[in-house]
Amino acid sequence: LSETIDLGLRIVDRQLIDSEDRRCGKVDDLALEGGPGEALEVVAILSGPDVWRARAGLVGRVAAWLGGGGRVRVPWDEVAGVDAHVKLRKRAQELGLGRGDDRLRPFIEKIPDADR
Amino acid sequence: VKIFQVALGILAAIGGFVDIGDLVFNVSAGATFGYQLLWVVVIGVVGITVYSEMCGRVAAISGKAVFDAVRERLGFKVGLTTLIAAQVVNLMTLTAEVGGVAICLQLLSGLPYRWLIVLAGIAIAVVVWVTSFDWIERIFGYGGLCLLVFAVAAVKLHPVWGAVGHGFVPHIQTESPLLYAYFAVGLLGAAMTPYEVYFYSSGAVEEQWGPKDLGLNKANAMIGYGLGGFLSFALMIVGGSLFLDKGIEPEFLGSIAVGAEVPLGQIGLLLAIVGILFAVGGAAIDTLFSGAYNLAQFFGWEWGRYRAQTGAPRFTLTWIVLLVLAVGAVMTGVDPVQLTEYAVIFSAVALPLTYIPILLVANDRSYMREYANGRLANTLGLIYLAVIVVISLTAVPLLILTNVGQN
Repeated sequence: LSETIDLGLRIVDRQLIDSEDRRCGKVDDLALEGGPGEALEVVAILSGPDVWRARAGLVGRVAAWLGGGGRVRVPWDEVAGVDAHVKLRKRAQELGLGRGDDRLRPFIEKIPDADR
Repeated sequence: VKIFQVALGILAAIGGFVDIGDLVFNVSAGATFGYQLLWVVVIGVVGITVYSEMCGRVAAISGKAVFDAVRERLGFKVGLTTLIAAQVVNLMTLTAEVGGVAICLQLLSGLPYRWLIVLAGIAIAVVVWVTSFDWIERIFGYGGLCLLVFAVAAVKLHPVWGAVGHGFVPHIQTESPLLYAYFAVGLLGAAMTPYEVYFYSSGAVEEQWGPKDLGLNKANAMIGYGLGGFLSFALMIVGGSLFLDKGIEPEFLGSIAVGAEVPLGQIGLLLAIVGILFAVGGAAIDTLFSGAYNLAQFFGWEWGRYRAQTGAPRFTLTWIVLLVLAVGAVMTGVDPVQLTEYAVIFSAVALPLTYIPILLVANDRSYMREYANGRLANTLGLIYLAVIVVISLTAVPLLILTNVGQN
């Protein structure tokens, strides 16, 4: 990740993929650090409904409410690489991502023949 | 073996091209203007070919389906508005297709419509739950090929072929140019139905297409849609030959099927209804999945039929909810044919919102590399951007001015 990249175009709103190739959210925002006069540094990826509030006004707030809130902070060190998607080094569960799917899974599993 | 597979895929695409929107708009356009609007179908078919080829190529090279691109290029806010618009139109279309399935079942069985709506919903859910993607494609694609009965009917009705040929030359010969424009927009909207590309691009990602599949992508788009367009011609010719001079507006799916009965008798009628059943049923499944694909891709959830229902729980829940909503909506007694007109017109309005991001991504060399749009794809892409923007801006005014094509 040494070359310069346009963060808004190349990172934000990209798909997050965990170490097991599971889709586990989007890059909803980035956390930047750096005081006055210092260079800004990307320190984390922010993902989850609470991040939408700040991004889309009223619709964003409604979407965040419907999405059940919540925000996950993924340290930038966990990023394995960026191509068409943002690939992570660990499993989604370890990073706290993809919990919506995990919570719903037991209910879907109760329907017969659900794992074919 | 490979060629055989491609041929099978193309057969399925022909059967899968026509949905309730094409049935309604092509036959009504024929009934109202004869063969005059055939040239518009050509423009529509080339349009969906260009758009699909781009979506398939983007999916194969970048692994991004349509709503991944929408989210990435339009951002969260504009993207969310696009998502909502697309989902509303998609649900309308799904409702119309489910209603269409129930109507066909009623025509075949004579049982009460309301029971058949529920039966249609259950049948769709069961097929989706237990059948693999390949088989869904085959069953509905081949079943939809029964619609070829309309091609036979078109010939048997002995249209004036000179007039049919003249229909492929753009011209306006009418005292109601607004109505003509309304049907032109409707035909374009019906041919370039957005759910087809949502479904197509997501399917390409599911099947893990790569650069080696680009030939297949091109063949699917050009031959599949091209021949599918022939069915549209046939439907319009039947509408024009049979209904034009009688002043009959085919307001029911049953009267569209009559178009095959008149020249071919009972067997024609039966094939037409079965063909419509499979075409509309297949489209119901496509729209159902498209709705779930769109939502999952926008929010980054796991998605895909190949991951089994438990592999993508939110995706699964989404299509279940959409199906329940659609069945409920049909139960309110809304007329599927009337709803189809609104769905097609509103889908034309929303079309640029999903088309533009795909055009942009297809030009992004940072991950499309040498597979980015070439000069031909971009020229066609830009011409169609103009076409799409024009139909998007004129669709609702024409809907209002013509009183939904009634005047």
